[in-house]
Amino acid sequence: MGRFAEPMTRLIDELKKLPGIGSKSAQRLAFYVLRSSDADAEALAAAIRDVKASLRLCSVCNNITDVDPCVYCSSATRNQRLVCVVEEPTNIAAVEKTKHFNGVYHVLHGCLSPLHGIGPEQLKIASLLRRVENGGVDEVILATNPTVEGEATATYLSSELRRPSLRVTRIAMGIPVGSDIEYTDEVTMLKAMEGRREM
Amino acid sequence: MALKESEAIVLRTYPLREADLLVTLFTRLEGKVHAVARSAKKSKRRFGGALEPLTYVRAYYEDRERQELARLDSCDVLESPLADEVSYSRAIALEHVAELLDELLPDREANDAVFRLTLSVLAQMQHEAFWMPITYFELWMTRLMGYLPELSECIVCGRELNGDRAFFHALADGLMCLDDKRLASSEISAESRAIAAQMFRAPVESFTGASWPRSSASDLRKFLLQTLQRHIEKKLVTAGMLEKM
Repeated sequence: MGRFAEPMTRLIDELKKLPGIGSKSAQRLAFYVLRSSDADAEALAAAIRDVKASLRLCSVCNNITDVDPCVYCSSATRNQRLVCVVEEPTNIAAVEKTKHFNGVYHVLHGCLSPLHGIGPEQLKIASLLRRVENGGVDEVILATNPTVEGEATATYLSSELRRPSLRVTRIAMGIPVGSDIEYTDEVTMLKAMEGRREM
Repeated sequence: MALKESEAIVLRTYPLREADLLVTLFTRLEGKVHAVARSAKKSKRRFGGALEPLTYVRAYYEDRERQELARLDSCDVLESPLADEVSYSRAIALEHVAELLDELLPDREANDAVFRLTLSVLAQMQHEAFWMPITYFELWMTRLMGYLPELSECIVCGRELNGDRAFFHALADGLMCLDDKRLASSEISAESRAIAAQMFRAPVESFTGASWPRSSASDLRKFLLQTLQRHIEKKLVTAGMLEKM
């Protein structure tokens, strides 16, 4: 026999599936839900249902959206010929924070990761190639993470995207603004020196 | 407890809680060590690119009383795979080395021979030509782990195989002669066996320069992977990726 009533055990088991939630946290959350008002519990359940029912991937860029095409792809003021490729939808917010990028996006939903068995077929690469093939793209900016796997993804994409009329660029890597050169690690410094620009 | 200092190779990282990383290190001092790198996901200042797979670092860590996981204090990068271009095929080769080390090495057991082997092989994997270092690494890892059978005699009848045809099977513990081979066995050429013998006598650097296409010693690699996978009782993810490449 379990320690809790069956519905409680079921809720704990479901919560345990969430990232970063262990048994204890799942129990705490389940008891919080139990103690909260019916309206609050119902609102939580409805929010979870809605997020699954109304959100989908944009048919153009694979961003998570409630309208298709998403706000970026359907915007009349954005430069649709400039495409920034990112690993995850959350990366878009980081680029948007700069308020200086006026192009559109393409979300890969991951990066090439041999250790996890993720190859080009598992990523949204085919749709990017189709998008470029259909014309209307002048430049693709590869904004994958500066990690071994992010670099491998960028290198792979640059070879797949090689076309005479298309400019393929990689975001710069280097010393963070406001930091001190003295505390910069060797790899970052090397990349900063490689990516130096003329003034 | 005092901080320990050791040369190490980063094998893998896993996200842990909100901002921490669980890092698997292959240290020269104590073999495979699992450690928590606090705030490594949020702050790049302390670790920078040091926690990327196959980065050769000087690691500073401490063991905590009654806790299995060590605390990783900091890492100085000695060699980084990011210093050279990382193509998809190179990433697969690098992560194959990391997966083999992670799966084959026991925790907290120093193994200087494997450490030196890994460093010398990684030094040869800076460019696109990686089939040779991969073959060399798989061969020596199989031998150093004690899984490599005698390559010059049949395991069934004990006959010398030198020059004769030899076969291997996923469920057999070594090579077999033509008379004793099982159904669905694969052949390993005399040329590949000669390469293996040569690799046991010479350092990995002595094989650089010669052209080494994917087909070179591919039967030897298949035999080695089958042997390794049989002992660890699981399929290696990166072996499948190498096959597809």
